[in-house]
Amino acid sequence: MSTIRTRPEPTPTRARGSRSARGWGLTTISGLALLVLVTIHMIANHFVIESVGGLRSYHQVLEYISTPVIFVLEAIFLVVVTIHAMLGLRGVLLDLDPGPAAQRWIDRGLWVLGVLTVAYGATLITVLASRA
Amino acid sequence: MSDRVPGVQERGERGPVRRKGVGVPTSGWFDPRGRAIGGFAFAVNRITGLGLVFYLYLHLTVLSLLLRGEQSWNDFLKLATSWAFLSLDVLLLFGLLYHGLNGIRVALVGTGVVPNRQKALWWSLGVIGTILLIGGALHIYGSM
Repeated sequence: MSTIRTRPEPTPTRARGSRSARGWGLTTISGLALLVLVTIHMIANHFVIESVGGLRSYHQVLEYISTPVIFVLEAIFLVVVTIHAMLGLRGVLLDLDPGPAAQRWIDRGLWVLGVLTVAYGATLITVLASRA
Repeated sequence: MSDRVPGVQERGERGPVRRKGVGVPTSGWFDPRGRAIGGFAFAVNRITGLGLVFYLYLHLTVLSLLLRGEQSWNDFLKLATSWAFLSLDVLLLFGLLYHGLNGIRVALVGTGVVPNRQKALWWSLGVIGTILLIGGALHIYGSM
């Protein structure tokens, strides 16, 4: 039987338990949404284009992203993939067994990184769409 | 009573989280030694997940070339359509397929829809993933 050596944890509370469950639920829901969004993204960007590697030319990219439906889908994709990525990173970091203070910094850091990522991505696709 | 439970004395010490049986081994989640399929799948899921997070930012960086104009994008396309670069696309496709299909397995098992078919799901989704990967790779290399 292997030795069990863990950090002494406070008595689990309802709030702590439900937060963890919410995180798992959100990861799962965003993951399932990503399955649809990634499939659309990959097929639309790389599997219906007649060129080497399925990559669009400059003008094809602008034309593609300026289509309203595609713009909305790509914006949703950006938000969902960022949420999923931040939750995934959080899971990996929390497995390193950080203390409560470090955990709070991890949460804040990931929030900031996520918001910056979405902001930058949204700016990028908006500028590109406006150039079409 | 609590004195009879092994490891109780060590609980107060700081250190890596250690658990019995399946799950994260003492050497870390990325260590594939002595794992059952569930543990191996978990480790590969994390590695592909971290790779995909890295790719997300690489992708945003590459797409930023579009802001510099047509010439920058055309220069990138010359590099991106080389055999070596397309091989990285196949690696990316593997990461996406593994992470996505394993995610389906985890969701089905974790939500209790298919709680006792972990191995069967892993293998069947593995077959589907392999077929999709081969198809995708043929499409990617076939476009050269």
